[in-house]
Amino acid sequence: MALLEVENLSIGYHSQKGYIHAVEDVSFSLEAGKSLGFVGESGCGKTTLGMALMRLLPPNGVIREGRMLFEGNDLLKKSDEEMREIRWKKVAMIFQAAMNALNPVHRIEDQIAEALLTHDPMCSKEEAMKQVEDLFVFVGIPKDRMRDYPHQYSGGMKQRAIIAMALACRPALIIADEPTTALDVIVQDQILKEIKSLQELFKISIIFISHDISVVSDFCDDIGVMYAGQLVEYGDRQEVFTSPVHPYTKALLSSYPTVTGEKYKLEPIPGETPNLINQPSGCRFRHRCPSAGVSCKTESPVWLKLTPTHRAFCSSIR
Amino acid sequence: MGRFEIGSYEMSMEKLNKKSLNRSPRIARFRAGWAIYRQNLLGKIGLTLLVIFALMALCSFIPPLIDPMYQPMTGVDPDIAKSTGPSLRHWLGTDFMGRDILSQLLAGARVAFMVGVSAAFMSIVIGTTIGMIAGYMGKFVDTLLMRLADMIMVMPTLLVVLILSALFGQLNIWIIVLIIALFRWPGVSRVIRAQTLSLKQRPFIEAAKVAGASHMRIIFRHIMPNVLPLAFLYMTFRVTSAIIIEAALAFLGFGDPSTVSWGMMLQWVWKTGHMFKAPYWLLPPGICISLITLSFYMLGRAMDEVLDPRLRKEAETG
Amino acid sequence: MELTRYIGRRLIQIAIIFFVILTVLFLLFRLAPGDPVSRMVDPDMTPEDAEFLISQLGLDQPLGMQYLYYLKNFFTGNFGESFHYGQPVIEIIWARLPNTILLFTTAIILAALVGIFLGKIASWHKGETTDTLMTLGALVTHTVFLPWLGLILIWVFAYKLDWFPITGMLSEEVWLDPGAGIFTKLIDVLHHMILPLATLFFIHFGSYLLIMRSSMLETLKEDYILTARAKGLQEKVIRNHHAAPNAALPVVTSVGLSLAFSINGGALTETIFTWPGIGRELVMAVSQNDYPLAQASFLLIAIVVLLSNLVVDTLYAYLDPRIRY
Repeated sequence: MALLEVENLSIGYHSQKGYIHAVEDVSFSLEAGKSLGFVGESGCGKTTLGMALMRLLPPNGVIREGRMLFEGNDLLKKSDEEMREIRWKKVAMIFQAAMNALNPVHRIEDQIAEALLTHDPMCSKEEAMKQVEDLFVFVGIPKDRMRDYPHQYSGGMKQRAIIAMALACRPALIIADEPTTALDVIVQDQILKEIKSLQELFKISIIFISHDISVVSDFCDDIGVMYAGQLVEYGDRQEVFTSPVHPYTKALLSSYPTVTGEKYKLEPIPGETPNLINQPSGCRFRHRCPSAGVSCKTESPVWLKLTPTHRAFCSSIR
Repeated sequence: MGRFEIGSYEMSMEKLNKKSLNRSPRIARFRAGWAIYRQNLLGKIGLTLLVIFALMALCSFIPPLIDPMYQPMTGVDPDIAKSTGPSLRHWLGTDFMGRDILSQLLAGARVAFMVGVSAAFMSIVIGTTIGMIAGYMGKFVDTLLMRLADMIMVMPTLLVVLILSALFGQLNIWIIVLIIALFRWPGVSRVIRAQTLSLKQRPFIEAAKVAGASHMRIIFRHIMPNVLPLAFLYMTFRVTSAIIIEAALAFLGFGDPSTVSWGMMLQWVWKTGHMFKAPYWLLPPGICISLITLSFYMLGRAMDEVLDPRLRKEAETG
Repeated sequence: MELTRYIGRRLIQIAIIFFVILTVLFLLFRLAPGDPVSRMVDPDMTPEDAEFLISQLGLDQPLGMQYLYYLKNFFTGNFGESFHYGQPVIEIIWARLPNTILLFTTAIILAALVGIFLGKIASWHKGETTDTLMTLGALVTHTVFLPWLGLILIWVFAYKLDWFPITGMLSEEVWLDPGAGIFTKLIDVLHHMILPLATLFFIHFGSYLLIMRSSMLETLKEDYILTARAKGLQEKVIRNHHAAPNAALPVVTSVGLSLAFSINGGALTETIFTWPGIGRELVMAVSQNDYPLAQASFLLIAIVVLLSNLVVDTLYAYLDPRIRY
């Protein structure tokens, strides 16, 4: 059985201008110990998806339909209290590095120990501190910096501290939302390697959210490409990266320099993402799609199964 | 991201081009602001109360025309030589020497507006000018002006006026207004300075500099129009503090003896020992001072919501 | 270590500000229209006493020397003699100072604590009736005219209901009674203190409540609050342990910034309730043209404001590690 199975998940926000369809009809599954990456432009719904898995949407956000089976139980059926206990103990999060994710008035060690103490009432304060010390060793922060406050840390160290915090309760799943985006390239690479090795060490599943397809393809076993709230292509790394099918995936891949350094002409994707309030009929990508046909305007796309693992949401490719 | 930056640059270029700033967008902006303001209940209550007080101030000219005994300061009812309760002849009763309380109350509204608005106006003129100069010039000028502001900020204005009236004798109402203005600008200048610092980074200031505009011209033609809304917002808060200081001064017996203010009315009730026996005399002036302060304060808070885009966003989502 | 350096820097700033106030006050008292000697020396004194005081204050010297005398006298605590009391000014203000500090600091601390506590609750119930009532209540108490509130409280609670004494700080019969213990005396002071304390408290807690409420609403949007939620912490812990300490910082700043304005209210309250404090002494001295006492009271109030500012700044640094480290 998969660790996480998401079926037909639709999420939206109520706003003054109307209902925003942020995520629509998304399905995927994740095996224990595997990693899955979601890529897409900003506003495509990938962060909303991550927050929905933790049931941490803002007050105006609603999960309209779908199921989120975690270890066989639907997270949407859990009470708030049950959900609170699952957070961090089972599903933890690594936030964007640019975010002010650590509380400025508390010591780092206390913020990490707090996670341990909350979820394990048997754990004593000393024990928790001992574990925090071990975590610092894992993520490579000197022990004498444990008692520091967040503002005394560099960006990379803060991100390491957040990773240490995410690992604190040995969760089964970590959702990493743009964990390296605001860091400089060298630190980015170190942090990614670190997450990868810790994932293998602790056999944790990871959902990796990024706008950068090269990072995701480097890191993840499976890749889901999102566009305007919908999943448009899904498959294992090799399939999506080397033989992309959906025009949007192709465009994404050609708008980034490759990791291997081959010389490509970088192509910006023309046009902009559609308005998510008034959903256009037909395929949402058609305005920007180089291979859009007449039917794309009226008919909704269908899932095209290419291999048992690889599928694309497009009608213009036969 | 890129699009947004270009957009704001275009907007600032528009501001730079004086000719394009004709009246209609300003009116449109005012209408948009008014639409937000109208949704604010407190703002509406505040504005209504202020209109009532303004009517009171206007009506203050009427009673002395009817009969000289309704002169607020000098008119004495020939038949009454002590404080009496409300009657047909004196709707709110008379004070200890037979003067009409209603006439005094109406005249007090006029004095409150006069003191509040003129002191506030002067203090925002001083505060805005100093704030803009400190923020724009920076370095030594900034340090000097801000230290001066710190110094004045720790001075209790009421007690300063007290000391000055001890030294210079009875102070005229306009001198009192001037002193209040001279001691209440530092708060305004701090805010305007911060705003100027952020404006200084914007491209249209840079463009004006490149075009060879003088410092004075940049400050008064390019920065000032952008900080004025904020300055007017602070003016409403300064109006309240000026009214309170004048009223308190009059209450302690150091007001201008030739003007009837609400504070002075309270001083008469208190000093003549009528506070336990003449509620018809004790209540009206106190209620008026408190309500006019409250309504200017509510006006300010509602304007704050119109001006602060962050709060507006909060109102949209929440 | 950073903390002591920070306090040291603030102390220097405060010393400079005070020195400027001292100098400006000197110039005002010497250069205002009228005879400076008659302002510092009681006209009713015997010529010998007046002569002595004039030479002690340096009033027979040129202006520059007078200033040096003035500074020396300030630092040795010689403020001349009060016209009204006929006593050295220093004795009077030393006796009044503790009363002011007792009333003023108790009121401000209480107002800040209650304001922070209620503001937190209001923000948590944003948009509900609790919030609306609290915000409205805060707006009204914050803008009510202080002397009037004081008079109304006296009228209702001291005169009509007769729960509290109308004026003063002590009851003679209690303090002259040799049998009364310290506890009885303390209760007596408290009994006198409640109304003035309530007046000052009501005027201040509203603004602190409003600041705490909006600061709390801003803080709840911070990323670290999301982290705290994701960590599976209880809402109560998030509110009290993660949001409130951050949200309270602007309230502390505002307490500091409004201290000068608050002391105005302190002086008014003391005057209305005839609380024997230094603010009332200043008001009385000004109306009795008791210049030496007025000058000294003003200087002492300035010192109180400046030092309270230092206390507030230190507290802020203690609460915000970004300043402490």
